[in-house]
Amino acid sequence: MVTNGERGEFSIFFFRFLKYKRYSSYQKTQPSDHQVQQDSRKDRPISSQLSVNIEELHRLFHQAPDLVIRNFNLANSKVKAALVYLDGLSDKNSISNNVLRSLMQISFDPEKELPTTVGDVKVAHTWNFVENSLFEGASALFIDGETKVFLLDTKGWAERAIEDPQLETSLKGAHQGFVETGSQNVAMLRRYIPNRELVIKEITVGVRGKSKVYIAYLADVASQEVLQELEDRIRQIQMDTIINTGELAEFIEDNPFSPFPQFILTERPDAAASQILQGRFTVIVDRSPAVLIAPATLMSFIQSVDDYSTRWIAASFIRLLRLFAFMITLFLPATYVAVISFNYEVIPLQLFLSIAESRSMVPFPPILEALLMEVTIEMMREAGVRLPAPMGQTVGIVGGIVVGQAAVQAGVVSNIMVIIVAATAIASFIIPSYDMGTAVRLLRFPMIMLAALFGITGIMISFMTILGHIISLESLGTPYSSPLAPFRFSDMKDSFIRFPLWKMVIRPKSVRTIQANRQGNSRKQR
Amino acid sequence: MKKYTFNEITYYQFVFLIMGTQIGAGFLALPRVLAERAGTDGWMGVVIGWLLSVAASIFLVKTAEKYPNKTVTDILTHLFGRVPGKLATFIYMLYNIWFTWIILINAMLYIKGWFLPNTPDYLIMFLFSIPTFLIVRNGLRIIGRYSELVFYLTIWVPVLFLVLLKDGSFLHLFPLFKVEWSKMAASGLPAIYSFLGFELAFFFYPFLQKKEHAVRGIVIANTLTMLFYLVVTLACFIFISPDEITGYNQPVLNLLKVIEFRFFERVDMIILNILLLIASTTWIPYFYCGVYCSSQLMNKADHHSHVPIFLGLFIAGTLIIHPTWEEFETWQHWMANAGIVFAYLFPAFLWMYSWGYEKYKRRKAL
Repeated sequence: MVTNGERGEFSIFFFRFLKYKRYSSYQKTQPSDHQVQQDSRKDRPISSQLSVNIEELHRLFHQAPDLVIRNFNLANSKVKAALVYLDGLSDKNSISNNVLRSLMQISFDPEKELPTTVGDVKVAHTWNFVENSLFEGASALFIDGETKVFLLDTKGWAERAIEDPQLETSLKGAHQGFVETGSQNVAMLRRYIPNRELVIKEITVGVRGKSKVYIAYLADVASQEVLQELEDRIRQIQMDTIINTGELAEFIEDNPFSPFPQFILTERPDAAASQILQGRFTVIVDRSPAVLIAPATLMSFIQSVDDYSTRWIAASFIRLLRLFAFMITLFLPATYVAVISFNYEVIPLQLFLSIAESRSMVPFPPILEALLMEVTIEMMREAGVRLPAPMGQTVGIVGGIVVGQAAVQAGVVSNIMVIIVAATAIASFIIPSYDMGTAVRLLRFPMIMLAALFGITGIMISFMTILGHIISLESLGTPYSSPLAPFRFSDMKDSFIRFPLWKMVIRPKSVRTIQANRQGNSRKQR
Repeated sequence: MKKYTFNEITYYQFVFLIMGTQIGAGFLALPRVLAERAGTDGWMGVVIGWLLSVAASIFLVKTAEKYPNKTVTDILTHLFGRVPGKLATFIYMLYNIWFTWIILINAMLYIKGWFLPNTPDYLIMFLFSIPTFLIVRNGLRIIGRYSELVFYLTIWVPVLFLVLLKDGSFLHLFPLFKVEWSKMAASGLPAIYSFLGFELAFFFYPFLQKKEHAVRGIVIANTLTMLFYLVVTLACFIFISPDEITGYNQPVLNLLKVIEFRFFERVDMIILNILLLIASTTWIPYFYCGVYCSSQLMNKADHHSHVPIFLGLFIAGTLIIHPTWEEFETWQHWMANAGIVFAYLFPAFLWMYSWGYEKYKRRKAL
């Protein structure tokens, strides 16, 4: 415990240091520091003449009809000033009430303080900073005769209301999901973990359109090595701009050739907060409602937030059900094909007869039948996803009638095949993570082919291959197959069976946390 | 100095690696071989074999303990000099690669005989090489995880044999000690072959995290193997009559044929495929050690590039030779003799030699 405390203190110090560094680099953008000016050749200082500055603005923002330049005179003086902002990115209400009104009515000395009543005022001396701030929704106040520009925080773009996340619905969890504004998402995490150890590290990614990426974690819990790895990988990204968290994940994942997702992408703040408390890292990308959670393990993809709010016995049952569904999705169609086309001796005669009867009308070999049906159901799923809800119903009806009945009656496919495919489809939708569900559905196809070619042996080989692949996968340098291989008994408490929460006193070892214990014994002895 | 730290294995992985290496496809025929030598007293051969292998294992670990961060190739170079060391590494490589080949051939013959009689053998070999490639390429840590996972996945197999016991006759075993001691000891010989695999501990030892538990680990691995063989052998002896048992080639399979469920016939077909899983934990460590030796010979730090080369050789070898059961039997016979040398005699010799060597060196230093 002593070492943990020491480490914690050290990390606090470390992050203060980092913050200081960041702050100082911000300071350096001001021209008072001559060195920086030499470094950034493109970064020109702001002229003291307003007309020159307006010209420069027109040059910088050519063909930008949404750039608003409001010229006016400061109160009680003939000093000219201009307020510049991008229409649609800033809050007009705030601009007219808190900025323009006070500037026009109250006389003041520009060398001292502004009379505006907005929350945050920054001072810029160079164009780059002005330009970036304008794109972030700030308004810039140019005053004639001044070489500095005041940047007023008047952010306010059209935002979506906080809604229940569509992809991950939960029965008992919170009914709010992340939105498209990064700072808002950070705030939602703060609401769940109001602790100063929750550190948010900001990294800017993207060469053309800078997007802010925030790494949120508990400074006294999460591993520094893993953080370093994550940060290095994010800083490595050279791209125009990051539109979506999924893009970021593809740039930083360990094995890009694996079918399995190596990071959890979630839209649920409660899920993200619970992962942070376990010692993981959350990466929030501005403009994307999904956050990335790393490092992930295979087991974490069959967990859901609802597991922790339901009673542990019921939750364990559902966990096992999901695992079973995982296996069914992977193995059922392949096993059926293997048994029908190769190893029919393993099923009892009675069952075999009924299958044979159902198949007697079908002119295709089992492999073709299976692939046909699986592809059909994948098409129906994809059509259902892309179509708007009112049209989506059509897919259901057409699919249900065509696949369910007509195909069987016409003798194109057998009844049993329909059952198998339907069971597989339902099983694949039980897996809580969409990415994992897709991965498993995809793996089914090579498995069916191997099963058709080599029977049960083919399935066994594909099982061994998947096993071998999973155990060699890593997520941010931590083993992906963690509680299973390497086997960690204490981590098993939250895998197949969800142990009672008061039994889980240790944070998952696979995350390599620096503070192992959760807060201790929570249950009164009786 | 510690050049193997990045690839460490845990204590349990060490145990299951050794145990996985010991239990291969050989156990299917083991009861028959034992019965041929000593009748239904053959199960005592397993115990004799266990005693011998535990003794050899302890010698082996004790030798390795003197050089905690060296694999056997490094130790040999240290003790005998560079050129003899290289030669020994080469022999070790041949041994490991040859062993891999034999196990692969054995598994291939089983699969071909039982499931895929019309599929060309090299294609089956190619199938085997896919997971092998994926796992061996990633080093010992991943192999350790694989062995561990396979152990947990196949832990129910011995239970299946216990279920059968209720229909057998325990009288088959009695009276005890009905054959002479010499015959009983002779039955220890085939059992010794079945315990082969612990000699790879020489390669695993430097990767082990907690080296102080190595002796306990290797004894536990041997004991688990012994218990498994004992369950299988006893189940066969009890269930199949003593006169019949020598007539079956693989009595274990005949035993499994009996099991049948309402919804599922032919459990043996599944077990034979599970066998693939069990056999893979044998050939994968051997293959890794072989590739390790070859990369040491070439003075290369990583073994990645050697893996596909050897797998390609295996497939090509199958394509050219088309191995049969008879050939396999001959090769296995050679292998068993080589195994005795590598696993039982060599560690004891090495232990004594290193003891003398260090003593001599110390005296010289004084």
